[in-house]
Amino acid sequence: MKSLSQRWYEPQEIATLRLWLPVAVGVNILLSSIEWIREDSLAFQLSLLGAFALLVLWLVLPNGEQTWKRDVAIGKAGLVLIIGVIHYAAGMRMVIDIWSTLWLVGPAILALWWLSSPVISAWAKGLLSVQGAEDGLARNKRIAPRLGAIGSHILLLHAVMLILFPVLWILDVAMSPGNILGGDIGVSDWTGEHFSKMLGGDSSFWIWMRNSLIVSIGTTLMGLALAVPAAYAFSRFRFSGREGSMFAFLLVQMFPGIIILVPYFMVMKSLGLLNTSLGLILAYSVTALPLCVWMLKGFFDTVPRELEEAALLEGCNQFEVFWRVILPLSLPAVAVTALFSFLAAWNEYLLALTFNTSNDMYTLPVGLASLISSTGQAWGDFAAASLLVSIPVVILFIIFQKFLIQGLSAGSVKG
Amino acid sequence: MVEVRYESVTKRYENGFEAVKDLNLEVKDGEFLVLLGPSGCGKSTTLRMLAGLEDVSAGNIRIDGAKVNDLPPGARGLGMVFQSYALYPHMSISENLSFGLRMAKGEDRLSDEEIVKRVQETAKLMELADQLDKKPKQLSGGQRQRVALGRALIRRPKVLLMDEPLSNLDAELRHHMRAEIRRIHDTLGTTTVYVTHDQIEAMTLADRIAILNDGELQQHGAPLDVYNNPVNDFVKGFLCKHIDEIVETANTLFPKE
Repeated sequence: MKSLSQRWYEPQEIATLRLWLPVAVGVNILLSSIEWIREDSLAFQLSLLGAFALLVLWLVLPNGEQTWKRDVAIGKAGLVLIIGVIHYAAGMRMVIDIWSTLWLVGPAILALWWLSSPVISAWAKGLLSVQGAEDGLARNKRIAPRLGAIGSHILLLHAVMLILFPVLWILDVAMSPGNILGGDIGVSDWTGEHFSKMLGGDSSFWIWMRNSLIVSIGTTLMGLALAVPAAYAFSRFRFSGREGSMFAFLLVQMFPGIIILVPYFMVMKSLGLLNTSLGLILAYSVTALPLCVWMLKGFFDTVPRELEEAALLEGCNQFEVFWRVILPLSLPAVAVTALFSFLAAWNEYLLALTFNTSNDMYTLPVGLASLISSTGQAWGDFAAASLLVSIPVVILFIIFQKFLIQGLSAGSVKG
Repeated sequence: MVEVRYESVTKRYENGFEAVKDLNLEVKDGEFLVLLGPSGCGKSTTLRMLAGLEDVSAGNIRIDGAKVNDLPPGARGLGMVFQSYALYPHMSISENLSFGLRMAKGEDRLSDEEIVKRVQETAKLMELADQLDKKPKQLSGGQRQRVALGRALIRRPKVLLMDEPLSNLDAELRHHMRAEIRRIHDTLGTTTVYVTHDQIEAMTLADRIAILNDGELQQHGAPLDVYNNPVNDFVKGFLCKHIDEIVETANTLFPKE
């Protein structure tokens, strides 16, 4: 008769393998299909074979009852290891090959190492003592969080790679000589020529940058100057037309921007605002306003009314209440709103293209697109410039990061 | 002499609902008046009209004989303690205390040294001297309520208003703060109007209680007088019976030898 500990003990390593081997199988099948698309038939077959071997290994993982399973499992793990090594040796050693090899060799080595450890092999053969099982249960508790953390980090690493890969690709194009698009990522013959060309005196990059900064900062300031008081009024005061105007704000959002493109153009033309920064600032502020007002109103609604009443009793007038109590409290929300307006203006292409006909007034998106023209396609310059364009945005995000988290979760915690 | 007088005061909302009906009530100088009643009886509205946070639909409110119906809240020289404390989260305790003083304009404005002195005094009175640099978030409920009280008192208000100031505290703190509020009132002698729905709170704190129901004043007088001579069934049920029940429960739980 087995003791309770003996009956309930399963090494954490085995549980981990049981959980992660199917993932490895899945990844290898996914990789094999990519290799199939690439028409790399050897790698395709090896990956598929590896996936199959891993599947069998998963099926024969020891359960502490059937003693034969442990030896078979060790054999299978060895097979996977060999397949992985062949895959690496025979492959073209590109990113995808290294990736696929890691998903074969990694699980195989782990399985070999764990299955051959004394405690696990004793458990697999059903020879573990009561004391051993009790120690094992305690050990499980200790290593379970660690194994879990490693697993989640592996997943996160994949997610990060997925995000970073396009950026790396752009970086590769930007650093490669000539103006070629495509090809594999390689470290050879990297050059900074595109960057120095973009940043040098001959290019229009700095003109576009200046225009973009003027327009984006102008939009942010004007948007906030209009949205903050408007949102406060919507949140706190009851006046006729309140519901109507809030609905109107939403209504505007329902139509795609392209509908108002032509009317916008006519208005700007008759006002003489084509080819000016002010024209874009006005247009962007109006576009960003509804979202900003609604976001800020949502935040102001969460600020308790009693705070305002307390300030009123202490001798503030309505403006002082707003300026000294409500606004300082709302800084996170204001920061988020500012960031949104800035980004919207920074990235906008269609209006900027329509309103501006001269290179001197181009914003960055329009300027960048003009690099890829019918006369010449400067992909290298384009890639370099697009990396440079994202730098200010990244800096802004880093600065505002703290506010962003506070602002987006605003209202969840009582001030 | 600071006295508050409600003269036939009525509060009618836009939808026609009358929260307070033809209220006549006087708060004498230095008195601790408790407005007592079930929720929705108009006691908070009564207080908020005095504070200037609600308009008066009809009748007059006088502080010190002067009609204040249309004065802005800040001009009435009142201090108020809210149920939710309503401390400014982005300011330190000392900034919270001094906010009203710093907001004062013209001849009411004190010198900076005077403001610092007042903050020190108030912090000492409220036992907050060690907390001055903290933010409200870092304080316990009882401490926050003391800050709120200190903030109301620091401007030496003519009348101190309290709107259910203890209902957010746990039982033990509530008991403690009740004694504290009474002690501070006895020290400063500020005319006080206190709103509560808690009969025991009213009985223990008040110099005089005023019982409201459905926007109408039912009875007012010294707590024991009201308890001994209820004028109608509502007062009998809401005050006398309630207290009798509590006493009875206590006697059953702890029988006398």
